[in-house]
Amino acid sequence: MNSQDFIRQSDGLDSKTRYHKSIWRTIHTDPPLLVGISLLCGFGLLVLFSASGGDVPVVQRQALTMVVGLVVMFIVAQFNVHFFRQWAPTLYAAGLGLLALVLVAGVEANGAKSWLDLPGLPSFQPSELMKFVVPMLMAWYLASRPLPPRFKHLFWSAVMILVPAGLIIVQNDTGTAIMVTMSGIFVILLAGIRWRIVIAGFIALLLASPAWYIFLAQEHQKNRILTFWDPYRDPTGAGYNIIQSQIAIGSGGIYGKGYGEGAQSHLDFIPESNTDFILAVLAEEFGLLGILFLILMYLFVLIRGSYIAYAANDMFSRLLAGSITLTFFFYVFVNMAMVSGLLPVIGLPLPLMSRGGTSVVTLFIGFGLLMSIQTHGRSKSI
Amino acid sequence: MAGKWQLKDHEAERAMFSRRLVVAAVFVLLLFAALIMKLVNLQVSQYDYFSARSDGNRLHSQYVPPARGLIFDNRGKLLADNQPIFNLTIVREQVEDLEITLDYLDTLIDLSDDEREQFANRLRRNRVPFSSVPLRYVLSDAEKSRVAVNSYKLPGVAIEPQFVRQYPLADLTAHSVGYVSEINRAELDSLDDEERENYGGTNHIGKTGVERTYEDLLHGTVGYEIVEKNNRGQVMRRLDRTDPIAGKNISLYLDSQLQIAAEEALGDFRGAVVAIDPNTGGILAMVSKPGFDPNLFVTGISSKNYGVLVTDNINTPLFDRSTNPYPPGSTVKPFLGLGGLHHELVDYEFTIEDPGYFRLPGVSYRWGDYTLRTAIGGGHGHTDLQKAIYQSCDTFFYDLGNRMGIDTMHGFMSQFGFGQNFAVDINYARTGVLPSRDWKRATRGEPWYPGDTINSSIGQGYMWATPLQLATAASIMANKGKVIQPRMLKAVDGVPYEPVINDPVADVVVNDPDYWRYIEESMSMVVHRAYNDVFREYGTAYEAIAMADREMPYKMAGKSGSAQVVGISQEIMQSEDINVSDLNKDHALFISYAPAENPSIKPQIAIAVFVENGEHGSSVAGPIAKAVTDAYLLDILQIDFAALNSGGDELLSLVDE
Repeated sequence: MNSQDFIRQSDGLDSKTRYHKSIWRTIHTDPPLLVGISLLCGFGLLVLFSASGGDVPVVQRQALTMVVGLVVMFIVAQFNVHFFRQWAPTLYAAGLGLLALVLVAGVEANGAKSWLDLPGLPSFQPSELMKFVVPMLMAWYLASRPLPPRFKHLFWSAVMILVPAGLIIVQNDTGTAIMVTMSGIFVILLAGIRWRIVIAGFIALLLASPAWYIFLAQEHQKNRILTFWDPYRDPTGAGYNIIQSQIAIGSGGIYGKGYGEGAQSHLDFIPESNTDFILAVLAEEFGLLGILFLILMYLFVLIRGSYIAYAANDMFSRLLAGSITLTFFFYVFVNMAMVSGLLPVIGLPLPLMSRGGTSVVTLFIGFGLLMSIQTHGRSKSI
Repeated sequence: MAGKWQLKDHEAERAMFSRRLVVAAVFVLLLFAALIMKLVNLQVSQYDYFSARSDGNRLHSQYVPPARGLIFDNRGKLLADNQPIFNLTIVREQVEDLEITLDYLDTLIDLSDDEREQFANRLRRNRVPFSSVPLRYVLSDAEKSRVAVNSYKLPGVAIEPQFVRQYPLADLTAHSVGYVSEINRAELDSLDDEERENYGGTNHIGKTGVERTYEDLLHGTVGYEIVEKNNRGQVMRRLDRTDPIAGKNISLYLDSQLQIAAEEALGDFRGAVVAIDPNTGGILAMVSKPGFDPNLFVTGISSKNYGVLVTDNINTPLFDRSTNPYPPGSTVKPFLGLGGLHHELVDYEFTIEDPGYFRLPGVSYRWGDYTLRTAIGGGHGHTDLQKAIYQSCDTFFYDLGNRMGIDTMHGFMSQFGFGQNFAVDINYARTGVLPSRDWKRATRGEPWYPGDTINSSIGQGYMWATPLQLATAASIMANKGKVIQPRMLKAVDGVPYEPVINDPVADVVVNDPDYWRYIEESMSMVVHRAYNDVFREYGTAYEAIAMADREMPYKMAGKSGSAQVVGISQEIMQSEDINVSDLNKDHALFISYAPAENPSIKPQIAIAVFVENGEHGSSVAGPIAKAVTDAYLLDILQIDFAALNSGGDELLSLVDE
């Protein structure tokens, strides 16, 4: 733990020499994180321009979304993270209320009835909110309990996660439900849940999965799993996406075919090339080097997020920052693994690269929370 | 709650959190490592494989069919043209449900069951995946626009322009020029690999006639292009192209004007006319009537139309009468007569006394004189060879043939192409039969009887010859023995074509060249010898030809013939709408060449006319030969015989001075 001591010490020095005078701290912005995010956004827009076949309005709309995201991030960062701690139960209750409202008055899009179109507000997905409200509540709940959490605390934590996850599954949005669940689980893992419980849970999950597959899984889910094992069982149907995606990635080689030269994407062989499968476009045009560059940028953001979590002054902030960071990683990994054929196809976008609206803003809210944790409350440590 | 708060050990918790963070970092790195390994596997290890798959996705090599060579007649008139049409084609791989698509197309362009079946057949044929298969050839403008407007509902369905064969003379050249039609399985299988490659983009192949004979010249060489296609099969870019080499344009000796004249001359008869230029061997006209419209076959004949053609047992339009054999009848007499002179069995002075029949020594059976069987009894009386030819005396030739014997007869007649196919480039023509002892033993398993020779000597019995063979023999006679084998192809891409003949036919040589003059004179008498006081001293065709046209400016050497109908099928005999007695009538034949007996000009045209159930060779087939000769000498060549003759006079007068 020598290095840890060193970091803590130097951090202490920093806070005296840098943060008190830094303009960044005054406007509650973390420069390294901002640089990492901006680089990713820029690279994302570049790839999107090619993936969309040079469709300028698409790129403009995405850029605008990112600007909106940055503004939202900035606004969120202005609030002291303890404000969110105080309001976490309220936000959670409100979120559940909205999810329930969706069930009654939701609007359907892309097969998921998850949109809420309230008068006077832009339409949005309450399930997206839960991606950070659930870890917030979990962090609020567990931070004030002795850690590692006791069993009854784990039980209530599970309830707090599964209620909104269940409501989202009912909306037929499995991807978001998984993300919400994972963001909650990350909090529990970071809160120090006993490894034996983790392992037991993992084994239980493994044992339960055949039962799930046989009794609960829907036809399209089974198909996705079968296709994952053997994409060529239906090469023009279910396996088409993953086969074409792998061809795009593989044919990119080490150096790629060059920007705008991706034949697979420009001849429309890659479906969803602007959204979930944008990595295939990147891999085809920029090659392995391009992907490594992307992974490096993601790593940079992850390291910064981890550092913020590590350096945070209180357990709520730590758990929240850690969960946000790990959730971000989970997004990145699941998407990359699915596009390259390491995991079955789950409809998840690649953060900051894929085209999309609400989910981008959710990401930026997460970044805003990280910045808030980094720039507020150093003096108020408990 | 307060107790619990005190229990919290912040430092320990913080350390625990940090440890968890490290564990998480390890997991993150492990998972990224796994991901990178997977990517290295895809992008480095399997790069070649995926690179090829990517190219295979987008790059498609497609054939560019060559333009088929055009066919011209001997004066540059088109006999076979290429016309643009619009086809409705389907790429099977791009159609989700073929039945639904076809049903929908049916509402747009009325598909018949027949078309559906033909389309299914085409699909079953060996073909390149993602190639377009024609469903309907020739879309009308209205159909084209109906399909185009709804094309968004019809993925995989396209309208493709194509050049297809068109035969301007239609029925007139149905047999001689032939036609192209869709390549079938058997034809594809018969090609070797290289040829099959060459036919990769070709839908049609020559099926009959010149189209088939000169398929190699006409087809050309396939081209290729490499195109980039998107996932919907649309061509986005052409990357590389090897141009096809168009087939050669060929010119035939066939003269469409003469072809038309011959067809018209046949009138309502079924039959055939073959005309040959003796100087070149070029086939000037080759008509089989009735014909059929070969254009129907090009784009796939409907079974209804085809049914009409094949079930017509009387007219048999698909049957090429010009290259199929019939008993030649009396038309063989000049050749046999020449053989008699050559083998010194007869001479100019030799005569017989014809009682009207012939009887072999010691045999009671009498061979009657067919020419006379409808006339009042008695024979031709005092008859020499010349009279035996112009009066067509059977008895004379029974006697001559009997004395000649079948071996000599076979040897001499075969020099004129009987029993063989002399034609250079009509390999589908039948050879007929020039009987011999060997032939009979081989085909019938019977010995040759003297009576067989008697029948053969008037072109009956076992003897069969095609109109093409008769025209060939006539042209050799016109050439006084010089054999120039008949041929269709005159020039390739404007360059005169000289065929390579591996096994050339020897000229016919006779002991005394004057025999040629003598036979020509005799054949000329068939047409021109007028009535005189003596009973039956006129030429058999005089009345129908020379007397009918007293202004005839040239002389024609000819010989009529008639042949007994060999057999009529039961089916035809029992059908009610035909006058069966008409079908029992003899076939009428006539061979001729002209101008004859003219010192200023050699014969220009040799003709064989065959008229099914025409009954009378001289009065039915003769005038047809005359009309065709007129058309050629007077209308096409526009020979001014008056000037020629007077020119000869002037020449003579010059010599006199």
